[in-house]
Amino acid sequence: MSMTMIPPSQVPKTSVAHHKRRRRARKVVGYYLFVLPATLFLIIFLLYPICTMLLFSFEQVNVGGLLTGDTPFVGLENYRTVLSDPVFRSSVGSSLLFTIASLVFQFGIGFLLALLFQRRLPLVGLMRGSVMIAWMLPIVVSGTIFKWMLQSDSGIINYALQSIGVIHTPIHWLSEPKIAIWGVIIANIWIGIPFNMSLLLAGLQSISPTLYEAATVDGANSFRRLLHITLPLMRSTSLIVLMLGFIYTLNVFDLIYVITGGGPVNATEVMPLYAYNLAFVQIDLGSGSAVAALMFLLLFVVSTIYLVLIRREETA
Amino acid sequence: MSTQKKFSQTLLLTVLGLFCMAIMLFPLYWVIVSSLKNTVELFRSPPTLFPQQIDWSPYIANFVQNQDMLHYMGNSLQIAVGTMLLSLLLGTPIAYGLARLPVGGKNVFLLAFLVAQMFPSIMLALPLFVMFTRIGLMNTLLAVILAITTRTLPFAVLVLRPFFLSLPRELEDAAFIDGCGLWGSFYRIILPLSRPGLLTVAVLTFLMGWSDFLFPLAFISDDTKRPLTLGLYKFISEYGTRWNDLMAVSTVAALPIILVFMFAQRYVTSGLVAGAVKD
Repeated sequence: MSMTMIPPSQVPKTSVAHHKRRRRARKVVGYYLFVLPATLFLIIFLLYPICTMLLFSFEQVNVGGLLTGDTPFVGLENYRTVLSDPVFRSSVGSSLLFTIASLVFQFGIGFLLALLFQRRLPLVGLMRGSVMIAWMLPIVVSGTIFKWMLQSDSGIINYALQSIGVIHTPIHWLSEPKIAIWGVIIANIWIGIPFNMSLLLAGLQSISPTLYEAATVDGANSFRRLLHITLPLMRSTSLIVLMLGFIYTLNVFDLIYVITGGGPVNATEVMPLYAYNLAFVQIDLGSGSAVAALMFLLLFVVSTIYLVLIRREETA
Repeated sequence: MSTQKKFSQTLLLTVLGLFCMAIMLFPLYWVIVSSLKNTVELFRSPPTLFPQQIDWSPYIANFVQNQDMLHYMGNSLQIAVGTMLLSLLLGTPIAYGLARLPVGGKNVFLLAFLVAQMFPSIMLALPLFVMFTRIGLMNTLLAVILAITTRTLPFAVLVLRPFFLSLPRELEDAAFIDGCGLWGSFYRIILPLSRPGLLTVAVLTFLMGWSDFLFPLAFISDDTKRPLTLGLYKFISEYGTRWNDLMAVSTVAALPIILVFMFAQRYVTSGLVAGAVKD
C-alpha cells in the first residue's frame, strides 16, 4: 500500500528493476503451478505404472501376490518362458504381418485419396470430412461391422467379390487360419485410411503452389510434377505418418479381440492379445509384463530408426 | 488447357471422389441398413441394398423390452463425461502453462507427451490393474476414467497449446495492469477466447471415453458397471448369429459419433490432425 503513495518519479530506478524482476520470478512460479496438477496425475497414473510394469517383468506376479504384494524376484525367468513359447513367436510374426500389410495399404490408399481431395472440387469438404468417420467409430463397432461383412455365406464382401467374378467360391475370411489375419487386416485398413489421408493432406497443402506454377511454366506435365516436386517434398511427412502408423498398428488390440479373439488356433493372436491373455486370462502378470516390455523395446527401436532418418533428412 | 477439357476433368474427379467417399461410408451404411431388416431378408441372396420392409423389432427388443443396453449406455455416458471433464480440468492449465513458460524444461514436457501418447494401452492396463486391485478401485467407473484420461490428457495438451500460443500476450498484460492475477486472467480472458479449442478437446475426449474398450474390459467384471462397448462385446459372444440385434446395438453405439460428424465436424477434424503431428 505504501508503494502507491510515492509518486513514480521519486521511486529509485534500481528498486523498479528489482521489483520487476521479482514479479517476473513470481509469474514463472505461478506458471509452474499451472503445470503441476496434470504432471502429478501423469506421474501417478502413467509413469509410475510403466515403471512397475518393467519391474513386474522380472518378478513372479500371480493372484496371491497381486493382493499381498508378495512378488518374488525371478530374474529373467519370465523372458525365458515367453521367448521359448511357440505361441509368442507366432504372435511376433502375426504382429509384423498385420502391421506392415496394414501400413502399406493404408498409406498407399491414403496418399491417393489425399492427392484427389487436395484438388479444388465441388463437395470436396464433405468428402474429406465424411471419410474421417471411419476413424472415429468405436473400434468395437467397426469390428462388429466387419465381422458381419466378412461372414463367408451371408457377408456382403464375399457376395461383391463373387458378383464381379474375382472369386467363385466364398472365402472363409474368419475361420481359416491362414486367411483370418487378412480378414482383420482389411478391417484395419478401412480404419486407418482416414488417419493417413488427413495427415498427408495437411502435408500436401503446405507445399507452396508457386513451385507447381514454376514447373508448369517450364513445361512439366502433371506426372513429372508429382515425381519431382510432390514426392520429394512429402518425404518427411510420409516418414512421420509411417512411424505413427507403425506404433498405432502394432498396439491394435480391440479390433482383433472383437473380430477373431485371436483365433482360429492363435492365427491372429498378435502381441497385445498374447500379453492380455497371459496377464488377464492366465493371471501371470509377470510374463504378461515381459511381453509388454518386449513390445516397448520394438517400438523404441522403430522410433530410433525414425529419428536417425529424420536427422539425415534435415542435414541432407 | 481448354475450359471444356478442364470442366470434364473436374467432373470426372468429382465423381471419383464421391465414389471413394461412398466406399468409405459403405460399412456404416450397411450396419444401419442391416439393423432395419427382418431375419429373412437379412440372409437373403442377393442381398437387398435397401430394406424392403423396415423392421424396428431389434431396437424395441434391445432398448425398450430389455433395459440392459440402456443401463450400459448410462455407464458409457458417465465414463465419457468423466473423461472429458478430467481431461479439460487437468489439460487446460498445463497447456496454458506450457504455452507461456520460458523455455526451461518445456521441450522435455512436450516430448514426454508425444511419447506418452504412443504407449500401448495394454502396457498400461497391466500395472494399473495391479494398482487398482490394491487400492480397491476395481469394478468402478472411476478406475476406467482415470485410465482413459492418461491417454486423453497428452492429446488434450497437444491440441490446446497451439491455441494458447496464438493468443496475443498483450491481452494478459492488460489484465495484469487491471489487477487480475495469473489465474484470474486465465479464467476471465484466456478461457473464453479459446472456446473453439476447448470445444474440440471436449468433443474428442468425450468420444474417446465413449469408445474405449480395453480399460473397461480389464477393470470391470460387474455387469451393472459395464459400458456399451463391453455390452456389445458380451452380446457378440452370447448371440453370435443374431446379426440384426447386433447391428441395432452397433448403430446406437455409433450414434454419438454420427451426430458429432453431422453437427460439429469442423472442430473434430482439425483437432485430430493437430493432436497427431504438432510438436
